[in-house]
Amino acid sequence: MNTFAKNDLHPDRDMELSQDADNEPFLVLDKLAEMKQELGPSFLNVIQHFQSGILLRPEKINQAIQANDPERVERESHSLKSVCRQIGLVQMGHLAANLESLAHAGELRGAGLLVGQLIQAGQLAHSQLTEYCTSP
Amino acid sequence: MAHILVVDDDDLSRLYLVAILRNAGHTVQEAESGQKCLEQIDLNAVDLTITDIFMPVMDGFELLATLLKARPGSKVIAMSGGGLTMRKKLALHVAKKFGAIDLISKPFQSSGVLDTVTQALCPAKSFIACQNWLCRQDALFFSGTG
Repeated sequence: MNTFAKNDLHPDRDMELSQDADNEPFLVLDKLAEMKQELGPSFLNVIQHFQSGILLRPEKINQAIQANDPERVERESHSLKSVCRQIGLVQMGHLAANLESLAHAGELRGAGLLVGQLIQAGQLAHSQLTEYCTSP
Repeated sequence: MAHILVVDDDDLSRLYLVAILRNAGHTVQEAESGQKCLEQIDLNAVDLTITDIFMPVMDGFELLATLLKARPGSKVIAMSGGGLTMRKKLALHVAKKFGAIDLISKPFQSSGVLDTVTQALCPAKSFIACQNWLCRQDALFFSGTG
């Protein structure tokens, strides 16, 4: 599988991260290549929207955590998980899924740490997507 | 080419699906909720509606029930990546029982989406595909492996 090198995120071991999370790719390039082929000239436009989304959505989740609103955290995390899986951001998708589970259980303790990792992952994903789109 | 309405509260999923369908030459409208979908269909009839299942306010099940009651025979494809309250396979199975003619599983691929849309727009192929799918899903569901 064609992937970007593993990122330098450091998931907290106390969090319920997938046991295989560290061995999974951060970004599956084959998924992007597939999208590029499928969408043709629309690809760049779609990716730019995804890039905005992966920066903005963790911030929205953070706001919902600050507002102590588990329902909104669950909804926003679910959307982010879906988007991440669609474009091949595997680890970020896991982080979003963990946040969704926490929020679903009404448990927001520890969510701050996870959202911090999501924000960091979003920035890394944004730069890797830019790199992919600008490379020949 | 068909006139298709895409219903999803998630703007990025909607954007991607719309791009795939427009690239294939379809005329595509968008709605961000079940309620907006019903309003748009009142104004402009469509050949096919593709709706997400898990949406706030009016979910895909309620949309299916309302739409098919108001406009029997409408063609609706349901799509889902699953949620914590209902697993993907079960959600899609229930959507079928609510009257969805076919299903799209998230994350999706362009080729899969376009095949499903083509089958939905072609009644003969679609009918056979639905029957086969239902038989398979019923067998899985009642054997406890689904």
